Amino acid sequence: MPDVAVNPSEFKLLRDFIEKSCGIALGEEKAYLVETRLAGLLAETGCADFSAFYRMVSVQSDPHLRDKLVDAMTTNETLWFRDGHPFKILKEVLLPPLAEGLKNGSRFRVRLWSGACSTGQEPYSLAMVIHEFCRNGNGVRPDQFEIIATDISPSALMLAKMGRYDAAAVARGLPDELRDRYFLQQGHVWCASDALKEMVSFKKYNLQDPPDALGRFDIVFMRYVTIYFSDEFKQRIYGNVARLLAPSGHLVISAVESLRGISDEFVQLNHAGGTYYRCQAS
Amino acid sequence: MKTILSVDDSGVMRKIIGRSVDVLGYGFLEAANGVQALEVVDKHRSEISLIILDVNMPEMDGFEVLTRLKGSPQWASIPVMMLTTESERDKIVRAVQAGAVNYICKPFQQDDLTVKIAQSLGEDF
Repeated sequence: MPDVAVNPSEFKLLRDFIEKSCGIALGEEKAYLVETRLAGLLAETGCADFSAFYRMVSVQSDPHLRDKLVDAMTTNETLWFRDGHPFKILKEVLLPPLAEGLKNGSRFRVRLWSGACSTGQEPYSLAMVIHEFCRNGNGVRPDQFEIIATDISPSALMLAKMGRYDAAAVARGLPDELRDRYFLQQGHVWCASDALKEMVSFKKYNLQDPPDALGRFDIVFMRYVTIYFSDEFKQRIYGNVARLLAPSGHLVISAVESLRGISDEFVQLNHAGGTYYRCQAS
Repeated sequence: MKTILSVDDSGVMRKIIGRSVDVLGYGFLEAANGVQALEVVDKHRSEISLIILDVNMPEMDGFEVLTRLKGSPQWASIPVMMLTTESERDKIVRAVQAGAVNYICKPFQQDDLTVKIAQSLGEDF
C-alpha cells in the first residue's frame, strides 16, 4: 500500500491536470488510482505529498515528468486481432471498394489511422490483413497502403516501434500461420518483419490536440479508447475523426463504445456480427 | 552486445526479467544473491551494461550490494536499476540517493519492465 494518501483537494487538482494532459476522466471513487499509480513518481521526485507533486508537474512544465505521469496513468493492454469481427469487416467490406479505386486509378493510396495504438498489436494486425488481402489476388500491392499509428504514451510507442514480442505476447490472439509468415523468430522473441514495419508509421499524438497534421484517412480504427473519456471529449474526438475521414470514409470502434448521443455525423452499419460507421460528412 | 545482470533470490523473477531482456535483444546473466552478484560482476565487468538489483534478499540485501558496487572504482560506473517489492517511498528515495539510475515496483507489467530497462540504458527506438 502506498505511504502517502491523496486528499480531496489534491485529487481534484491532479484529476483536472490528468484530464487536461491525457483526456482520462477520473470519478471521485478513483482517488486510489492516483495514489497507487503515482506513488512511485511522488517518491522519485522527492515530493513530500501530492500537493508538492502537483506543483512540480504543473508549474515546472517538465515534459519528461509529464510523460512519466501519462505513462503511469494510461493503461496499455492490447491483443492481436482483438474481437475478430472488426478485421473481418476491414477485409470483406472496407478493403474491396478501396482496392477497386486503386486498380482503376481513381485513388493512389489507402490511408488508415490506428488511434491509441498502444504497443502496436492493432496496427500490425491491420497490416497483416492488408498483406493477406494483397496476397490473395486482389490486384493491389502493400505499398499502396499506409497505416498511421498514434498513441499518447512514449513507452508504448517505443515498444510498438521495436515490434519485438515475447512468446506470451504473441500467444494473445496471433494465429500461428500469420505469426510464421510475418514475424521472424529470434530465440524466444518474435520480431515483426520489414514487410509489416514498412506499412506502419508510429507517431506520438494526444487525442486532445488538433489532428489536422495527421492528414486525411479512408479508415479509422479508434477502439477501447474513449471509454475513459468524458462525453464532451468524446464529441470532440469523433468530430475530429469526421473531419479527417475522406468522403464516405469509415470508423471502427469497439463493441463497448457507442456514438449514440455523442455524434450524428456517422451512419451505423453491421457486418459479420460487428458494427462499423460510415461518415456522412462530405 | 549489451548484457544485463539480474540479481534476485527468486528464480521466477529472474526468468521474468530474462523475458524482457530477450525482447530487447540483449545478453543475460543472473545471480541468486548478493555474494554471487559481486562474483559475476567481477568476472564479466566488461560485458555488463546494466544490473537489475532486487532490494529484498537475505544475507546481503540490494542496498548493500549497491553500496559495494558504487564503492568500487571498477564497478561504480555500471548503471543499476533497483527492484522494490511495493511502492515504499523510503526505498525508492534511498535507491535514487544511493545512485540507482532507475527503479521498478513489483507487481509490474512485463511491458513496463521492458521499457524501464531500455530507458535505463538510454535506448531510443
